[in-house]
Amino acid sequence: MSQLSRTNCEEAFRLLNDFLDRRLTPEETKIIEEHLEICAWCAREFNFETSVLYGLKRKVRQLEVPAGLLSRILSQLPPSEEQA
Amino acid sequence: MSRDPAVAPATFEVLFTDVMNSAYGVAMRFCHNPADAEDLVQEAAFLAYRAFDSFESGSNFRAWFLKILTNCYFSKRRREKSRPVTSDLDDTPDLYLYARSGQAGFPTQGSDPASELLESLGTERIVAAIGRLPEDYRVVSTLYFMEDLSYEEIARILECPVGTVRSRLHRGRKMLQKALWQIAEEDGIVGEKTAGSGM
Repeated sequence: MSQLSRTNCEEAFRLLNDFLDRRLTPEETKIIEEHLEICAWCAREFNFETSVLYGLKRKVRQLEVPAGLLSRILSQLPPSEEQA
Repeated sequence: MSRDPAVAPATFEVLFTDVMNSAYGVAMRFCHNPADAEDLVQEAAFLAYRAFDSFESGSNFRAWFLKILTNCYFSKRRREKSRPVTSDLDDTPDLYLYARSGQAGFPTQGSDPASELLESLGTERIVAAIGRLPEDYRVVSTLYFMEDLSYEEIARILECPVGTVRSRLHRGRKMLQKALWQIAEEDGIVGEKTAGSGM
């Protein structure tokens, strides 16, 4: 694949989600990174999408597990004889 | 593979203890309320315990357990008759949040440009937005956002091709951006900003 330039932002954008999820090959990743160095628009968009993605992950993981849940669940499992 | 029944429960207990918090997190994002989430984890734990002989020792217990939990959730949803899916998210354009944030005066540049918007929304609204996604997209997105599972792991849990996970996830993320904005508008979060910017 040749190096991406300003004229193929569309191609870079097509790979955005795979880039964010680290699904690209090392060669593809390098090409995108090089493109982001020379294209301020794409860099800004990619940066924003990265911020959304990691921000959402942080937010949805903020969660409190009810006290005593583990022992409640374990205490309701059938006796060991039934496991066999 | 047979296992000494006297040993199996302790092993299950140890493995389950390790994954319980994340399983509850996923269950909460599936069900949206603590009572249903607790029931779901309880049911999955019971089934997993009964099927523990089929678990391959040394393999990924978390993925194995999440598969059981997800199947329990789907069964529960079938019993309850699924609600109609929201379809107005289907046509979400690319970079929706980026474009709308810029119009409404939220930052689109900097080291963590979306943080102000996401902080304004808060966890509950973000979770509510995930809840608006059509079910197939919501389940994939939940597993992805909560657990950092790979596409392959999600595909194994859902018993579907990796390509399906990829497309649902990419599309689900786009839909989620629109759902987030809808909630921000409904709750007046972006209205306040927009009023000042004349948009």
